[in-house]
Amino acid sequence: MAPILELKKITKVYGEGENRVVAVDSVSLSLKRQEMLLIMGPSGSGKTTLLSMMGCILRPTSGEVIIDGHTVSMGKTAHSPYEDVMPDIRKQYFGFVFQSFNLFPSLTAVDNVSLILRLKKHDGKKLQADARRLIERFGLAKRGDFYPADMSGGEKQRVALARALAGDPPIILADEPTANLDSKTGLDVLRHLRELSEEEQKAIVIVSHDPKAETMADRVVFLEDGKIRNQETGDQR
Amino acid sequence: MYWLAIKTLFYEKGRLIITLIGIVFSTVLSLTQVSMYLGLIGNATAIIRHVDADIWIVSKNAQNFDFANPFPEERINRVKALSNVIRADKMILTWGFLKLANGGQEQVQIIGFNPDTGTGAPWNMISGSAADVKGGRYMIIDRTSEQRLGDLRVNTIWELNGRRFKLVGISQGIKSFTTSPIIFMSYLKAQQFFRETSSQKLASYIVAKVKDEGGIVETVEYLKAAMRDNDVFTRDDFVYKTVMYWTVQTGMGMGFFLTAVLGLIVGGAIVGQTVYANTMEHLREFGTLKALGARNSDIYKVIFAQTGISAVAGYTIGSVLILLAKDGIEKAGVSLYLSAGLFLILFFVILITCILSAYFSVRKVRTLDPVMVFRM
Repeated sequence: MAPILELKKITKVYGEGENRVVAVDSVSLSLKRQEMLLIMGPSGSGKTTLLSMMGCILRPTSGEVIIDGHTVSMGKTAHSPYEDVMPDIRKQYFGFVFQSFNLFPSLTAVDNVSLILRLKKHDGKKLQADARRLIERFGLAKRGDFYPADMSGGEKQRVALARALAGDPPIILADEPTANLDSKTGLDVLRHLRELSEEEQKAIVIVSHDPKAETMADRVVFLEDGKIRNQETGDQR
Repeated sequence: MYWLAIKTLFYEKGRLIITLIGIVFSTVLSLTQVSMYLGLIGNATAIIRHVDADIWIVSKNAQNFDFANPFPEERINRVKALSNVIRADKMILTWGFLKLANGGQEQVQIIGFNPDTGTGAPWNMISGSAADVKGGRYMIIDRTSEQRLGDLRVNTIWELNGRRFKLVGISQGIKSFTTSPIIFMSYLKAQQFFRETSSQKLASYIVAKVKDEGGIVETVEYLKAAMRDNDVFTRDDFVYKTVMYWTVQTGMGMGFFLTAVLGLIVGGAIVGQTVYANTMEHLREFGTLKALGARNSDIYKVIFAQTGISAVAGYTIGSVLILLAKDGIEKAGVSLYLSAGLFLILFFVILITCILSAYFSVRKVRTLDPVMVFRM
């Protein structure tokens, strides 16, 4: 199966001269549909920077990001309409799950999901019904009209999962999705992500310190000082 | 994105109320200042605009309608002699003291007009008719003077400069810029006030109606050359001169203008500050939106839509408040000129002020890096 996401010698450098910091150093990775990849590593190892570049939110200093066979990023010396095309690529290919949920407090659970459908220009008449269906898929049928302030952390993260799934993107990127949840709820969220990978052929990338995530992932990449130190597949663990 | 703008705007009711207060304040202050100015200017030029005449001949260097000096009335013959003039009339403007029922007296503006032709006569009569002043010491007073003169009833006798006049009519809504009550009477009776100080027959204005409006400029130029002791204006020019006198030479217009601008600045600052604070508080959400694929233009739509909705709502509330207060304000003696045109113009001024205030928020969003969503 051809990879849906491929990184080729991706590097991100911040600052210049004495302040130059190499956050990610020539990392190459690939990710297939139905695969769940976990990126682990100590704080400052470059996990989030790598995830940002994978999701076309952060422009790499050099290297290539290839999505579904199309190269979407180039080094800083090349002329590239990066900021022009990236929003559409993010909309088309990615769903995001954040550590702090990042839900809109002024929108109900259903509206938080329908916002993304609106952003992706889905059929206006079906928007609310589609959003409600996604909310129900994550067991929140009775909480659809609640605002985030009236929901638990686990419920908020499930709304975030529903939002990530809105518009049916092939890749879901999750940044520390269990960090603000208790152990049981965190496990629940990881199971949902696993289900999305297996049942809906989503490619999932999780950045996490959570040891429970290791047992769920198909592959674990250990990052240190911006470089891949080690990669393990499920069979090797 | 307009959907998100509306949802967010009405979710945060406290913030919305603060924004609306700013815009309502700005609307009320600007509308009152501009409408008061226009009301005063309207009063200052009311008689010029209502007299059916194309040309006004006034004393030399007269600055405005209210401060004309008398000149010999026979000069009307030079005007009547022109082939392009179909009608010419004399008018008088002078001042007197009206004795009040309580023993006090009030300075009044006296307008003398020809009751046969009606040139210079009061309009909006609510009691009696303009022609009733003919043939005796009869006068017409405007209802708006009641606050200063007391109850006005026709057929009552009043003492003006020691002479008894009978009130034969009441008009409605005729005021002078000077705020002095206006008394209309026949030209001949008004002229008698000049006779106290001069043996000559004097007039304050000669007004003329021309046959061919296309030839009005030539007629005015001819009269200027022929009547070197007078100033000659078209009606529009005399209105303009009067407006400019009260607006520029007295500084009054500048005062109103500055207060209106101050209202816009304060209102705009409140709106700008609220919108900016709102944007700063929602940076995380805007960053999330960008990360999820929204373009800057999508977020600008949210900010501008919220600002626009606030501007429309605030302006509507402010306008309704002004309309509700209009009668009360006018009863207190202040004229407000409120027209559809004024409401429309000020709406766009307020809207543009609000949109400009939102510009700083837009600038913040433009430089917002969506990577921030992973750092919070």
